[in-house]
Amino acid sequence: MATKNVQLPEIGEGVTEGELVNWLVKVGDKIEPDQAIAELMTDKATVEVPSPIGGVVKELKFKEGDVITVGSVVIVVDADGAAAAAPAPTPAKSAAHTPAPQPAPAAFAKPAPALTPKPAATTVATTVAMSGGTDVYPPPASSRVLATPATRRLAREMGVDVNSMNGTGMAGRVTREDVLGARGAGAVSGGPATYQAPSIPRPGFVGQGGAMEERVQLKGIRKKIAENLQMAKHIIPHFTLMDEANVTALVAMREELKAAGEKAGVKVTYMPFVFKALIATVREFPMFNASIDDAANEIVYKKYFNVGFAADTPNGLLVPVVKNADQKSILQVAKEITELATKARDGKLALDEMKNATFTVTNIGSVGGTYATPVINHPEVAIFGMYKIQDKPVLKDGKIEFTKTMNFTVTADHRLIDGAVAARFLKAFIHRIENPGVLMLDMM
Amino acid sequence: MAQKFDVVVVGAGPGGYVAAIRCAQLGLSTAVIEREYLGGVCLNVGCIPSKALITAGHFFDKLQHSAPEMGIRLPKGEATIDMAQMQKWKTSVCDRMSGGVEQLLKGNSVAILRGEATFKTAHELNVKSSGGMETVTAKNFIIATGSRPIEIPGFAFDEKFVLSSTGALALSELPKKLVVIGGGYIGLELGSMYAHLGVEVTVVEAGPGVLQGAADPECVQVVARKLKKTGVETLLDAKAKGWKKSGSGVEVTVDVKGKEQTLKADKVIVTVGRKPNSDQANLKGIGLQIDERGFIKTNSQRRTSHSHIFAIGDIACQPMLAHKASHEGVLVAEVIAGKNRAFDAKTVPAVIFVDPEIAAAGMTEDEAKSAGYSELKVGKFPFAANGRAVSLMEAEGFVKIVADAKTDVVLGVHIVGPDASNMISEAALAIEMGARLQDLALTIHPHPTLGETMMEAAEAALGHAIHIIQKPLNQRKEGPSLRANA
Repeated sequence: MATKNVQLPEIGEGVTEGELVNWLVKVGDKIEPDQAIAELMTDKATVEVPSPIGGVVKELKFKEGDVITVGSVVIVVDADGAAAAAPAPTPAKSAAHTPAPQPAPAAFAKPAPALTPKPAATTVATTVAMSGGTDVYPPPASSRVLATPATRRLAREMGVDVNSMNGTGMAGRVTREDVLGARGAGAVSGGPATYQAPSIPRPGFVGQGGAMEERVQLKGIRKKIAENLQMAKHIIPHFTLMDEANVTALVAMREELKAAGEKAGVKVTYMPFVFKALIATVREFPMFNASIDDAANEIVYKKYFNVGFAADTPNGLLVPVVKNADQKSILQVAKEITELATKARDGKLALDEMKNATFTVTNIGSVGGTYATPVINHPEVAIFGMYKIQDKPVLKDGKIEFTKTMNFTVTADHRLIDGAVAARFLKAFIHRIENPGVLMLDMM
Repeated sequence: MAQKFDVVVVGAGPGGYVAAIRCAQLGLSTAVIEREYLGGVCLNVGCIPSKALITAGHFFDKLQHSAPEMGIRLPKGEATIDMAQMQKWKTSVCDRMSGGVEQLLKGNSVAILRGEATFKTAHELNVKSSGGMETVTAKNFIIATGSRPIEIPGFAFDEKFVLSSTGALALSELPKKLVVIGGGYIGLELGSMYAHLGVEVTVVEAGPGVLQGAADPECVQVVARKLKKTGVETLLDAKAKGWKKSGSGVEVTVDVKGKEQTLKADKVIVTVGRKPNSDQANLKGIGLQIDERGFIKTNSQRRTSHSHIFAIGDIACQPMLAHKASHEGVLVAEVIAGKNRAFDAKTVPAVIFVDPEIAAAGMTEDEAKSAGYSELKVGKFPFAANGRAVSLMEAEGFVKIVADAKTDVVLGVHIVGPDASNMISEAALAIEMGARLQDLALTIHPHPTLGETMMEAAEAALGHAIHIIQKPLNQRKEGPSLRANA
């Protein structure tokens, strides 16, 4: 009888000990190599502790609640029991005429002896231990994962590791929607899924019924808007920063240019100025013109500036895009905004005219409200709000002065943009919009 | 001038030709090199010819044993066998299938190079044929060169007296007596086929039972009983020592549990398994890693230690089955075309064409237990209670379903009985889809068919099969309900 001590392995960087939450085995249990034997709570996460060897459990060295340090003996295993539990690999001769009904990789696969962070994995992935070969990501689905072949393939193509998912289907089945959700929510390729999409509840609504309620199908643009906003709110941790700008000079400049615009048949609004001031500021702060590729675990900085703007239409919110706005004059931008807004109202926008914005501006102030907290148009990372212009008395050098003021907000993806960065961004933007002459310096 | 391709596939068996066709479908310039026959062992000296002869044996057996009871009389008494015609027919089946492969390859513009391929370097192949030697290069190679029968000491294959499976399928005269060394699936398929054709067969098996580890033990019991009934003698714990010519036949010396015995026969068939052909084509010479059992080491994409070389089928890993090779062929072709693929099938179903047939998908009860499923639901339904099986006069055997008691998810299905081979695909689908017992039980299976037994076995596992007597439902502990989300 060969008894062997199983020690607590390294549980993670800088983690030296953990509290035993509960045993997953008891004395007398037959365990397989890499089977989880205990749950351990560290200061970082609750992890499952695997036994590197199989056999029959002879002794549990700790009680639940005990603190165990890395390297101490956790259980004692009778390794001879392992031979009885798991027969040795069949020798080639008899194996050769054995059409073993089991997954083929088992021929030389062994379960990855990995510590499993708690909510993530329900099973241990089977990976092929092979020197010289390239590792395959995601690892092949373990035979315990309940997912149809088509779903497994979808997951592989999307870089989602089904082994680490908690399926929402019956009996823990990983559904197609789970996989799609995991991707959208930031499962990354090239590493384990870092974030699991909790399934979004779809509660029903039971009202009083009858003639006092009308039910209309959620469909078309409204449904798309609902889905997009839900996804954006789901994925992006939003935050909004607000400030007020003195736009007296801007108002004067715009009045001047308005007449010139009219001669050219173009209605010059404030929006093109805001676009230009934003583009100039975004050049200084490229993270506002970026996207997060969750699947690749990468930040994508864009060197082009396509500005979307929220358009209120009879069908609902649409976001037409002024492409390469940095390469267009204020007059051109103004003209394009008018055209796109008209098309949006008439429901004539081409799909391409609503695609590939690098950031978005919402001019809710043209309708009302002093401040708003808009929702970012994923996969962008920022949306800028501009609000109505008001006459305000301002105390300056001991005197009350009347100024034109305009409120601005910047709403950003907190994963990428820190609060202080957003504050500096807003400050730089306001400096430009308060001094529209400065925009000349940025002109190309 | 070396010919250049995107992909060169070495071996045109069920792995290689499938890989080549899929490569071509994906727009890759592809060549396949074959030294012997298109379709490989499977179509020419394995699966297909053996099934042809097994069908003939089955038919002959039915004529003799079932027909009279059904009221069918042969005009001149007994049925007889014209072995030459049987071989001719068998060959026509093989030729037709092999010809089909050639057409498919040509139709997909796959270049077919005939000859023996040897790696010159990891990037160049020499192909030696009667027309001389040529060199072929490719961006990617797929090795699909398969396996060959294992020889045992003292029984070198001469294909006259000592036959491999290849020789055993090509006998032009029906022998009177045969000794089969090896009670694995190939030996028993050949042995029971010849027994059906009226040959006296003795199986010599070194282990304590036939089909050891190859199938669910209960399924094997049914076959072992039938072997006895068919007149096949099995010597267990028996080691074949050697042979010598004796008259026009052979005399085989066998050590049975320490006692020496002599068996007289016309021929001896040796079927103790197959080994990968990894000692050929200079695979070791170009540095491919080969494990102790002779398989080329690959990862889950069947990529070898050289990242541009892949290995599939019998040469890559167990189980050595044609359908696994084909699956890998498609997989590797798509990996080469840049798609993310890995071998993640839950089960490679296996079929043994003995009498009655055995077929299995997924885990046996023991396998499920050692995989950590502590509580199982097992349902068995006998073919004797199935109308179609009885009307076929093939009512031996059963369907057994093994499920996880906690979730009712189907873990394994084991069938021994008529047409088990054709029934197992439903089980494989169920396992791949993660089906639960209820999914099988609630699927309407047409009557009267053998397939109904699958539904009934699922019902039996849930405790309420209709066509066998089980304890009343209200006297048993309720399992998870149909909607339980365990």
